[in-house]
Amino acid sequence: MKTYTDEQLVTNYLKGDEESLEILIKRYLKPIYSFAYRFVGNTQVAEDITQEVFVKAWYNLKKFKQEYKFKTWIFVIAKNTCLDWQKKKRPLPFSVLDNKKEEFSFAENIKDPTPLPNELLERKDLVAVLSKAIETLSAKYRTVLFLRYNEHFTFREIAEILRESIDTIKTRHRRGIAILRKLLKDK
Amino acid sequence: MNQKSSLNRISIYRELFILRTSAELGRSPCRNMRQDFEKLFLHLKPAEPPAGLFDRIILAIKREQELQHKRRLLFGFLFLLVVSLITTPLSLIMLVNQLESSGISYFISTVVSDFGAFLTLWQDFSLAILESFPIAGMLIFTLTLIVSVFTLRLFLYKKRLLLGYLIHDFS
Repeated sequence: MKTYTDEQLVTNYLKGDEESLEILIKRYLKPIYSFAYRFVGNTQVAEDITQEVFVKAWYNLKKFKQEYKFKTWIFVIAKNTCLDWQKKKRPLPFSVLDNKKEEFSFAENIKDPTPLPNELLERKDLVAVLSKAIETLSAKYRTVLFLRYNEHFTFREIAEILRESIDTIKTRHRRGIAILRKLLKDK
Repeated sequence: MNQKSSLNRISIYRELFILRTSAELGRSPCRNMRQDFEKLFLHLKPAEPPAGLFDRIILAIKREQELQHKRRLLFGFLFLLVVSLITTPLSLIMLVNQLESSGISYFISTVVSDFGAFLTLWQDFSLAILESFPIAGMLIFTLTLIVSVFTLRLFLYKKRLLLGYLIHDFS
């Protein structure tokens, strides 16, 4: 069976091939759902966000420019939908801002490009420990790490998705790694 | 201040140490870290989308498509309605004026009053009537009439859909 690129599928759909859209949705259902779930931490909300993302993508498919990567484009929609949900549903309490300050100053002093210790990767309860640590991370770090290591985006692509400068993304990545390392060490 | 500078110095030494060890081992530290974290994230239980989510998305898109179709139909209908409501009476007035000024009524009254003369000179009569016909006015009126009939027909065929959309989505 011939495998089409995302961009070819978009073109085919716009030419009237309904099946192309289904293939695209199937291809991105899991990554987008995973992303939404990591962002909001709730299955029901993640489902609603995923649905909204694909409806928005379908609605704007005619505006999609072929010079961009479809994967980046759909993740931009996903990020915006998650942020919209966050704005609507969750006002940020002051205590969270305080915690962020602590996290920030802690991460500020750490520069650590070292590989992970082997014992950590060999731990039997790694899945549970890792899930807990990821949940503890704030959304902005979690998002960067998820896009980098789960979806294998480059820093430039992450910057495009999150509409931030590449340096901000690199800083967030570094801080996120540092916090994650500390969290994993503590557990 | 001193504490900060000593912290910075420690981190610089640490990085140099990492770079040296990595160089000795013949590998880039950043690449190792990336590979390690990619490996680590593989352990992260992937969030599996529920079984019915794909169908739900397709259904939502279909619903949105229908809504878009209804919206287009409604705006098309409203546009045609406004156009026909404005142009039909105007084109009728124009046609009546042109008919009055064309003198066609005289020809017709002559035909009615003196049918014998018409039969003898029917060719000249027909030509005169044709020449005095307000063709432009008639054409415009016919067009607007067709638009009005089409709008009425559209409403009669899609009245449930149009009214439903107006009642549900605008209330």
